[in-house]
Amino acid sequence: MIHNTKCECGHQNHVGTVLCESCGKPLTDEAGNEPLEMRYDGVARRSQRAKRTPLDRVWNFFSSVKIAVYLIIFTLLASAIGTIFPQEDTFINLDPATFYKDTYGWSGELYYLLGLSHTFDSWWFRMLLFMIGTSLVICSLDRVLPLYRALSKQQLRKHPSFILRQKVAFEGDLPQSGVNESTKDWDDRFADALRKKHYRVYREDGALLAEKNRFSRWGPYINHIGLIIFLLAALSRGIPGWHMNQYMEFLEGSPKAISGTNYYLLNNQFTVDFYNPDEMSEGFRQRDVAVPKVYKTDAILYECTADCRVADKQPVLRELTHQQIEVNKPLKYKDLQVFQFDYSETPELLAIKPMLTDHSTGQSYGPIDLQMDNPLPSYQAGPFTLTLKSFFPEFGLDDKGLPMTKSNKPLAPAFVFSLTGPGLPAAGSPYMYFPRQIDKVNFRQDDINGALGSRFDLSVGSMDDVKIAQYTSYLNIRVEKAMPYIWFGAAVSMIGLIMGFYWQHRRIWLRIDGARLMLGAHTNKNWFGIRKEVADALGKTGIDVDPKSLEKGRNRE
Amino acid sequence: MGKHRTWIQIAILLVLVIVGAFAVGGSFASRSPLPVVGDKAPDFTLTDLDGQTHQLSEYRGKPVVINFWGTFCPPCRDEMPAIQAQYDKWRQQGFTVLAVNLGENKVTVDSFVKQLKLTFPVLLDPDMDLSRKYGVKLYPTTYFVDKSGKIEAKQEGQMEQDFIERNIMKLLE
Repeated sequence: MIHNTKCECGHQNHVGTVLCESCGKPLTDEAGNEPLEMRYDGVARRSQRAKRTPLDRVWNFFSSVKIAVYLIIFTLLASAIGTIFPQEDTFINLDPATFYKDTYGWSGELYYLLGLSHTFDSWWFRMLLFMIGTSLVICSLDRVLPLYRALSKQQLRKHPSFILRQKVAFEGDLPQSGVNESTKDWDDRFADALRKKHYRVYREDGALLAEKNRFSRWGPYINHIGLIIFLLAALSRGIPGWHMNQYMEFLEGSPKAISGTNYYLLNNQFTVDFYNPDEMSEGFRQRDVAVPKVYKTDAILYECTADCRVADKQPVLRELTHQQIEVNKPLKYKDLQVFQFDYSETPELLAIKPMLTDHSTGQSYGPIDLQMDNPLPSYQAGPFTLTLKSFFPEFGLDDKGLPMTKSNKPLAPAFVFSLTGPGLPAAGSPYMYFPRQIDKVNFRQDDINGALGSRFDLSVGSMDDVKIAQYTSYLNIRVEKAMPYIWFGAAVSMIGLIMGFYWQHRRIWLRIDGARLMLGAHTNKNWFGIRKEVADALGKTGIDVDPKSLEKGRNRE
Repeated sequence: MGKHRTWIQIAILLVLVIVGAFAVGGSFASRSPLPVVGDKAPDFTLTDLDGQTHQLSEYRGKPVVINFWGTFCPPCRDEMPAIQAQYDKWRQQGFTVLAVNLGENKVTVDSFVKQLKLTFPVLLDPDMDLSRKYGVKLYPTTYFVDKSGKIEAKQEGQMEQDFIERNIMKLLE
């Protein structure tokens, strides 16, 4: 490792330098004839040092492209394996311990036991991604800084062996075409010819450097920066509140809290339009099923400002936005997106506004506003007070014959009131009310209420006083705060790729010693292009060469 | 110059280690969000039928039974007298029951509680956020939480008196 790194031109190079940073003389392979290895312009990478501390060892590990390639291969393999069976998080309410065994047999059980059923959440998969990220950062820093230094202070006059050992090289005498033409004139004309090809030309006595599109060298590093932004953005989904993906059902007409947020969403109206049989293809018509053409949710998004999620209290809501949700046309509000997912027909009573009629006087009082999702402790109808003793959303009798509710949905609602007022005992008289006519008959409301039932009647005048929900809309609620950063990272990465793909860094070195001319040229790709440019420029100044003959290796063909 | 560079290197590696700890550590945090036996019972604050708030962590040091139930669920209704009897028997030892209702109306719950003369706190969970947090799938589901707030046992389905008693005695040990 101990090696004299001082070049004959007097420049002190870093350990690991291949080509002298100043004059370009090959330091390790001085006698060879092969084209030079021009990677990173022959400068030493950051990690190549004479003395190594443990810190350097870590740095070296991650600065290795070989390690990076292995990391990428392992990640690809793990990602592929992770898709053999569905991941746990694609199921709602699943017991993974039994699911994989029951569904896929022993291979499924093995898959579960190895932890592959949650590959993409596992510590080792994240570790791999993290190591790729680290490798990207360190590989880039390790190369880009020395390269930047080398390219920003290039010496014009290069060592003859550097010039002639370029892949594209030429050696010859200056043309003696004109009597009064000096070498400087040839030099000028050659420089002009290159400038026409958009080269930037730097000159020194007897030496010339023409360079173009140096920025394409930064392409890979800009690509890496884009990838790092992308990885960090993907990682940021782990920050609480940055990522959400849940499915919820929304009954028409009743606002519902979106869990994990302060938002409420109201399915104001759900509409579905079906295809007519004559619009359908023959195959569909024969199946005789209703095919929805379009279904959409007229949705209002609210923010809860007070009394949120408190039992027995209605939340105070402030409207934020009112939008139509159709398949692939989500509601959007800030970072929140609500997609139409599914629907089902679920007719149920939401609210009813009956009048209380006292047949003994013939007078009607009210109406009282009975809301199924929020029944109040008592209602006032004229001089009468209706105290709500009990409420059964879906009335029925249990096996002991006691009244109970069969579900929490108002499918057959029943109210038990205690009625007080003129002509009634102060302790109250029980009065039962079934809003739906069919329940009233089936459960024999009039018989239950007895004498009180013949004096009082709770009923609605018209359908305007009844609020019914026809549909339940199933919506997919998503928050993806990282998305703009993901796009930004992807865009930066693409810019980097384009810079490297469509432009090439081309350099031409020229050295004139007396009447002797030496020229070398380097590019990272499209050697055809640079050969042609060099041959054209030489041709215009009186030196005719075949472009193909300039390239080493091609001469021997 | 050399020293300066080493410090930059250390700083870069340090930032990477922090990001890495967040990335890899996050995978442990996001795993298995539903509490299982042996886990700490997730804390909550809910109001009972009288409007009193109850926070699980306030009961630290006392054994607690968390029962998820609804008046629409016959086995839930049927096990209530058994829970009440056990509550009466062990409450002097500091034991308590928190019966979390599954999103029903206060009136509906209240009339049932009065009918059965239940005296332990019955909590309302209007949007069923808590039962979702606990991953309650079958009704009733009961968690036996020990004095340190750890879930000692979980039971899905109706419980009998002696089953409840056995588990309470384990909690009181």
